[in-house]
Parts: sequence; structure tokens; C-alpha cells
Amino acid sequence: MKTRAAILWGVGQDWSVEEIDLDPPKQGEVLLEMKAAGLCHSDEHMVTGDMVVSEDLRQMFELPDTFPLIGGHEGAGVVQEVGPGVTSLKPGDHVSVSFIPACGRCRYCSTGRQNLCDLGAGALNRGQIFDNTSRHHARGQDLAIMAKLGTFSEYTVVNELSLIKVDDDLPFAAVSLVSCGVATGWGSAVERAGTAPGDTVVVVGIGGIGMNAVQGAKMAGARHVIAVDPVEFKREKAMEFGATHTVPSIEEALPFVTQLTWGQMADRVIMTPGVMYGDLMAGALSLTGKGGTCVVTAVAPMAQTESSVNLFELAMWNKEIKGTIFGSLNPRRDIPNLLSMYREGQLKLDELVTRTYALDDINAGYQDMRDGKNIRGVITF
Amino acid sequence: MKTKAAVLWEVGKDWSVEEIELDPPKQGEVLVKLAASGMCHSDEHLLTGDLPFALPIIGGHEGAGVVEEVGEGVTWLQPGDHVVFGFIPSCGRCPSCSTGHQNLCDLGALLGIGMQISDGTARHHAQGKDIGLMCLLGTFSHHTVVNEASCIKIEDDIPLDRACLMGCGVVTGWGSAVYAADVQPGETVVVAGVGGIGANAIQGAKLAGAKRIIAIDPLENKREKAMDFGATHTAESFDAALPLVQDITWGTMANKVILTLGVGNGDLLASALALTSKGGRVVVTNIHPAAEMTANVSLLDLTLMEKQVVGSLFGSGNPRYDIPRLLGLYREGQLDLDGLVTRSYTLDEVNVGYQDMRDGKNIRGVMVYE
Repeated sequence: MKTRAAILWGVGQDWSVEEIDLDPPKQGEVLLEMKAAGLCHSDEHMVTGDMVVSEDLRQMFELPDTFPLIGGHEGAGVVQEVGPGVTSLKPGDHVSVSFIPACGRCRYCSTGRQNLCDLGAGALNRGQIFDNTSRHHARGQDLAIMAKLGTFSEYTVVNELSLIKVDDDLPFAAVSLVSCGVATGWGSAVERAGTAPGDTVVVVGIGGIGMNAVQGAKMAGARHVIAVDPVEFKREKAMEFGATHTVPSIEEALPFVTQLTWGQMADRVIMTPGVMYGDLMAGALSLTGKGGTCVVTAVAPMAQTESSVNLFELAMWNKEIKGTIFGSLNPRRDIPNLLSMYREGQLKLDELVTRTYALDDINAGYQDMRDGKNIRGVITF
Repeated sequence: MKTKAAVLWEVGKDWSVEEIELDPPKQGEVLVKLAASGMCHSDEHLLTGDLPFALPIIGGHEGAGVVEEVGEGVTWLQPGDHVVFGFIPSCGRCPSCSTGHQNLCDLGALLGIGMQISDGTARHHAQGKDIGLMCLLGTFSHHTVVNEASCIKIEDDIPLDRACLMGCGVVTGWGSAVYAADVQPGETVVVAGVGGIGANAIQGAKLAGAKRIIAIDPLENKREKAMDFGATHTAESFDAALPLVQDITWGTMANKVILTLGVGNGDLLASALALTSKGGRVVVTNIHPAAEMTANVSLLDLTLMEKQVVGSLFGSGNPRYDIPRLLGLYREGQLDLDGLVTRSYTLDEVNVGYQDMRDGKNIRGVMVYE
């Protein structure tokens, strides 16, 4: 069939919205009509090249080309057609996508760590999970799809393993945000940082991830939630999502948190800036108290191999640095669980959406993100 | 196709080994040629009527074999793969499977029904009737058709007559110590009942670094066997264990007490808690009579001494993770499976094997097929 999608043909270019050819779903695959897709910063990382494999690494590991690529890894839609062997979904089902598949059978899925599913290793391969061939084509070329999803498309074909069924009454925009940003931020605070009642928590960077780390820390019973962001609009918003204090920079956070905690500093520091530059770590660890936890959530440039960590302090003060993907949550349990909290009024999702865009306006949406105008932008179809 | 299986037609009768008709696998199902099956006490419960499953039924829930054919939509297995069956399926999608509790998979609700997971019908037929499958498996058969959700792929070099024990008893015992009791290095552990489960609880406690392992069993040969598996002390009863544990722990008692009796008895919980230290834990792994509604426990002692009573199914393990993991330990010589098997039988000898079990002759009997 013919459909329309936003394609990135190379680093530094705009998204090109154009007609593509979409093949029907094969074994284990599903044809999905997209209803909403989040404009996440990770797709922007493909534009800037931060998440693109360098040419020498590509040759060393014989990796396929990244481009051309249909963007989008946050999304909600309705199942239109299922391929052979699909047993957990049927046409008409509402689904959330999951940017990491959950096979349910590997070592990690079997022990409650679906966010580390072994199928995630194929993220840099082109094509579909089972046979590595493409269902998406344009200008005579096979198209890669972001995170095996490609949600910047009116229709897409993805594997059943990347889809989570959700209840029909939930708004699509809310579902699309939970599929990556909300879960990642909330889980960073609740699951990975292990925020406990009475803790002091600092969240550095208040975008689509950080705002949900603020919500999660509040829900887990934090006494202080300090939101750090240079943009005044985001600091104001953070207070609505549960922050108790805000400061514009890490430098200003240091004396502030020192005073607030009588010098004990934060129990948890969650790093959710736009880009995780290594020189941010010195400040992050200074904000972290003795025995405290610093969670690194944001995407760092792939080729960056150094960061400003004082290992003497790390050892002597028993601090820990923890990485996290998807907030260390399990997509199949936690996406429905977060949406049920939204339904009960305990999780703000509608308030995250600053503006919605048509697929054709995708470049305007990303410009608004770069300009700091949006907490979250969402494409609605 | 035709194959041979041990069918139970009526409570109280012997297993009837006969030719049955087996349909090909449907959506999501696989045909497996079984190599071996454990002879577990739970299958005996079918015969006594303690497990009130629908009859007729093909027994057996500890099996290992080789995949011969896969039905439509099977993507994780192919002919030639070696598999062990999990006595609880693991769908990989439900809330329990999604959070590392595959032993509580929602598909476990279908165990008592015995028909295929995919559509609730039978692939096994004999004498013009549909036959159910013990735990959706029916391993007392040369061939069976089961859902992919019940199959765990293993490496080809593992002997299948040992691998079959992973489907139930070994993981249940080992996990009771390692996961449910969460035995830590330096702890004192009591294992009450040294059968197919208890022997593996002892092995698990030892590997987890227990300082002392006290095995309780009335039979001398079982107590001797317990020492082979890693026990440091033995006692013939709870009463005999109490002064022993007081003495060797200087009165601080056992950090963990694991109950792996033939059949549990609520009256014994107080004895188990008496062996348990402040802040310690009792793990209830053995089956109790379904109608038993009371247990003997001082709740004041539970509160003031902060003791815990914890139930455990399949040793609180995840079949897809723990079965390959424990077989890896077997390969490295850190888990003794060979020492568990007292005698092997053919399918035709199924009733002989169960008589030996009743007579207390076996730690574990295993049926080995052609």
C-alpha cells in the first residue's frame, strides 16, 4: 500500500515527508494505523548525529547504513491487519509501541528486565526483527525504521513483540508519550534511583524525560524535589508536576542543595539533560550525598568516552552511578500500569503536551523543541 | 500418528500403557519425541485422587526430548531442538512473566484442565476418547504435542535423562533455598524432608554459601544421602533438631528453615518457627492437603521476633532462565543430578517404578525411552 512518512536521508538534513510503499505484514508482524507519535529528543539525536554510528565503526563491525530512516519511536495506534502467527493482537486493538521489543523468552525478559531484551541488540540492523528485510520503501530504496517502529508514518508494519495492547478508552496522545519518555523519566526516579519516602531528589534537565522523573520522585514520597533547568517556562512547569524547588543551573544548585539539606546533599540525582555531556558528571556527583545514587538517563554522544568523575570521592563516599534504559521498567507491565495511574488522576500526561502538530509540520515541531518552547510536542494523525 | 503412553482411566487403577492416536501440532504447538521423564510424586497424586484432575489423563510433567515438528506460528523452536518442559507454561507477556515471576504465569490457571492452551481441545485420543495431559504435558509417552509456551530450549550436549529432572523437582528445591529463602553466605539453614525436593534445597543452600545445613529426615539412608549433597548436620525429627540447632548456633537458631516434606502438616509450622531465628524465614515449598485451613503458629512470636513465613512455587524461579542456568551448573560439576537418580525404567515399567517409590526405594526414578 501507499502511505506517507517522515524520512531522514542523512545527518544534518530536515525530515522529508513523502509517499512511501508499505508491504503487508509477514510472519509475526502487524500493520498499524498510527494515531499519535511523540516528537522525542532521541529522533533529534539522529539528525545531529549523536546516535549515529561513525563511519569507521560502521566499517569495523560491518554495520548497514543508518539512512534513509523513518523516524519515530513513540507512538500509539490501532491494529489494522495481523500477519501469520500473531496470537496476542487482532484488528481493532489499540496499542502502544515499545522502542525495545520484549520477546518474553531471553534471559533478561525471563528475570523481569524486559528493558534489556536481547532483541534490542538488533536496533542498529535494518529491517524487521525476524528476517531483517524491509517492509518500507521509497525512491526505489529500502527504508530503515527507527527502533524497529518508524512511528512518523501514517501506517507502519512492526513486529508483534514491539507492541503492547492498551485499553480502548485511553487518548492516543497520552499512550504515545508513555511508550518512551514518561516511562523512562518516571522509572529513572522510582525504579532505578529507588527514591524512598523522605528522600531529597535532584532532577537535572526538565524536558519530556525530566518532567516525568519529577512526577515519579513526588509519587515515591520525596521530601524535596529540586528541578534544574535554564528555561524559566520549564522551571514553572516543573512546580506543577511536583517539584518543591527550582534552580537554573547545576552551579546554582550546589549552594542551594547544600543549604536545603544542611550539607547532606541529595539522596538521588537524576541526569536528564538534552545531551549527556561527560563534563556534567562532576557537578552531578557533587550534588549527590554520601551513599547517594546518581542515575544517568540522558543520551550521550556515542563516541564520547570520557567524563569528569572523581573516583576517589566515589569510593570514599560510597556513591553509585547507574545507567538506565527505559527507566529500568518492563514495557508489558509498566506501560499499562502507568496508563492506569493516569486514568486514576495520579499521573499527569495531558499537561505534558505543549502543542500538537500534523505530520507535515514535523520540522516546525522539532524547531520548537530546539527553541525550548515545548515540554512535549506530539504528532496527531 | 500412533504412539505409546501411560493413561490413567480411573482413580485407584494402575497406569495403562497403550497405543494412542496423536494429532499433528496446531497453531503455536510442537510435536516432541520424548527421551526421558521423571517419575514425580505429583503424578501419584492423580492415581490416589488427591489431585482431582479430569480423567482420562496421560501422566508425567517432568520431560525432556527433541522437537520433531512445529505447528504454524512457532518461531522460537525448530525440528531437532532439544527441550525441557516447564510444568508451568511461561507466556512471556502477562504481568507475572513481565516482572521476573514466570513461575506465576497466568497460563498456569489452565493446568487442571489438561487440554491444549491454544484452543482448549485435545491432540491425544485413545479408545475413542479425548485424553487430557498432566500439567499440559503428558510426559509418560513416547511422543507428545504441547504448546511452545511449555518448552524451554536447552543445549544439545546435556543428557536428556538428567535434563528432564529440571522440569519440576530440581529447580523447586534449589530455588527454595537460593530464591525463596534467599540464603546468604554464612547463614544457618534447616531443610526438613530429604526427598527429590529437599536434596536440591540442600545443594542450593550449599552453593549460596550456607555455613551450616541441618537436614531433617526420619530415614537413615536419606540422612546419609543428605550429607553427600552438602548437609553439615542431620536430625531424625523436628524434636531432635531443636537442641542440635540451639547447640551449634549458640542459641541464635537458623536464619532459614525450608519445608520439603512428602506432605505438609499445618501442625508442624510451630516446630519450624521454633527452629527459626529472630528475623528469620520459613519457606513452605511442600504441598499441603487442599482442605487444610489451619496451621499452628504463635503470631506474637512472629511479630516480636520479626519472623517470616513465605510460600514458594517452582522455587520462585523463572523456567526460561533457571532451567538452562542450572543445567550449566550441572555441566560445571556444581550441581549433582546423577546422584539423584536411583533407578531407570522403561515406559512399560511405569507401575513397577511407582511401587518402588511407594516402598521408599528411590530418591528419584526416571523413565528412559528409546
